[in-house]
Amino acid sequence: MNWTKQHPGLAMFAAMIGLLLFLWGMAVPLSWAPDPIGQAAQQFAEGTRMTVLLTLISGSAGVVLGVLAGLGKLSSVPPLRWISEFYVWLIRGTPLLLQILFVWLAVPTLLPDSMQISDFACAAIALALNIGAYNAECVRAGILAVPHGQVEAARALGLSPFQTFVDITLPQSMRVALPALANNLASLVKDSSLAYAISVVELTMVGYRVQAESYQPIPVFVTIAVIYLILTTAFTSLTAALESQLDVGRKR
Amino acid sequence: MTSTSSSLKPIIEARDVDKHFGAFHALKKVNATFYEGQVTAIIGPSGSGKSTFLRTLNRLETHDTGSIKVDGIELNDDLKNLDAIRREVGMVFQSFNLFSHLSILRNVALAPIRVRKMSKEAAEAKALALLERVGLKNQAEKYPVQLSGGQQQRVAIARALAMDPKVLLFDEPTSALDPEMVNEVLAVMRELAHTGITMLVVTHEMGFAREVADRLIFFDHGTILEDSSPAEFFSNPKHDRAKAFLTQVRHGF
Repeated sequence: MNWTKQHPGLAMFAAMIGLLLFLWGMAVPLSWAPDPIGQAAQQFAEGTRMTVLLTLISGSAGVVLGVLAGLGKLSSVPPLRWISEFYVWLIRGTPLLLQILFVWLAVPTLLPDSMQISDFACAAIALALNIGAYNAECVRAGILAVPHGQVEAARALGLSPFQTFVDITLPQSMRVALPALANNLASLVKDSSLAYAISVVELTMVGYRVQAESYQPIPVFVTIAVIYLILTTAFTSLTAALESQLDVGRKR
Repeated sequence: MTSTSSSLKPIIEARDVDKHFGAFHALKKVNATFYEGQVTAIIGPSGSGKSTFLRTLNRLETHDTGSIKVDGIELNDDLKNLDAIRREVGMVFQSFNLFSHLSILRNVALAPIRVRKMSKEAAEAKALALLERVGLKNQAEKYPVQLSGGQQQRVAIARALAMDPKVLLFDEPTSALDPEMVNEVLAVMRELAHTGITMLVVTHEMGFAREVADRLIFFDHGTILEDSSPAEFFSNPKHDRAKAFLTQVRHGF
């Protein structure tokens, strides 16, 4: 942890390269493993890539949604505030599995036939909406933690409200919000496994299939667990490094 | 008011400025005109409205009624007017308010880049020149938290100067400083006062007010009680409240 603090840029780079190497090359060591793992190495690798893709897409969209909804909750315009509050209330108050099933089964009946979306897209949309609601609260807390004097100084210098937000409020709020956002991202890596319910072939689904064919649940599920641990470790080192990067100039 | 003021160009004109904070009447129909190049010290007891008045001049506080004109532009809800005024009016705060996530150089260069649309190179060259002027060129790559209070306030002055303002507002610039750091900030302000920039300084530094200011305004209970030259005010205050205030602070100079 000290190493990531001293060289945050390097640590971010290393974590990213490590993650890519792992995704790209994991089938090779896995294929050396005894059966039932070895013969299913390619399936494990594909499932892992699917899980990471799902996490990255819905995680990025979730940050954007979180910033928008977090801002909306602080807005002086009542309708924006109501929409954001309703969104967070609705998503936090219902199960993620129900949200995934709803997007998969109910939304297509509301859309015209020409606009049907893939199973993967359904899962990504539901996960992004879900994490976005949790992110909104972190972003809101971060923005509230920025001292008012910082905004006054920026406005007194002639910066517009938008410039003040982008240059001053947002970067400073991220120092507070990032640890909580990182926590949500680690949850998302694991929550993405619920996409198996709508037949997205991600890591957990692969494990379920392989053990069903081989009747050997113990080695299969232990392998899956180890892969999830490697993924969450990579994602947390990435966000920890980003945190140190943003931490410059802060009182301790 | 000094006799020469009629020949000077007014830069800030406040007419019947009124302001409430809830039930508290902070400013009571305040009238004042400030002229180009003038250094005005604004003094008075805590809660007398002097800081509030200063903050209404660049609309960090809105006034309820009355009118304020800066360089001929009416200060109101019109964002265009407000942006135009804020480009001409710099402000230095009691608690410095340097942007804590940006380096010293970036703190000074940000507004010229964003508001004046200067190139990054030009803005940073200008920032370095201003930092040199306040004696902090060698600290340019540091962050605000690594500097002492006096150094931070000097950076804040350089940051305000980077926009080439016509008017500089100082809101108790030395009140949050340790005593040994007050002088380094006052020295920078003294040097500025001789450059012909218009300065309005809310302060408790009676020595500075007496020595540097052209004009002295005494605030009490939301009104301007005395408006004279520092020499006249300190030797011959007219109102009992001003006399009492001077007796209270006399140990300070």
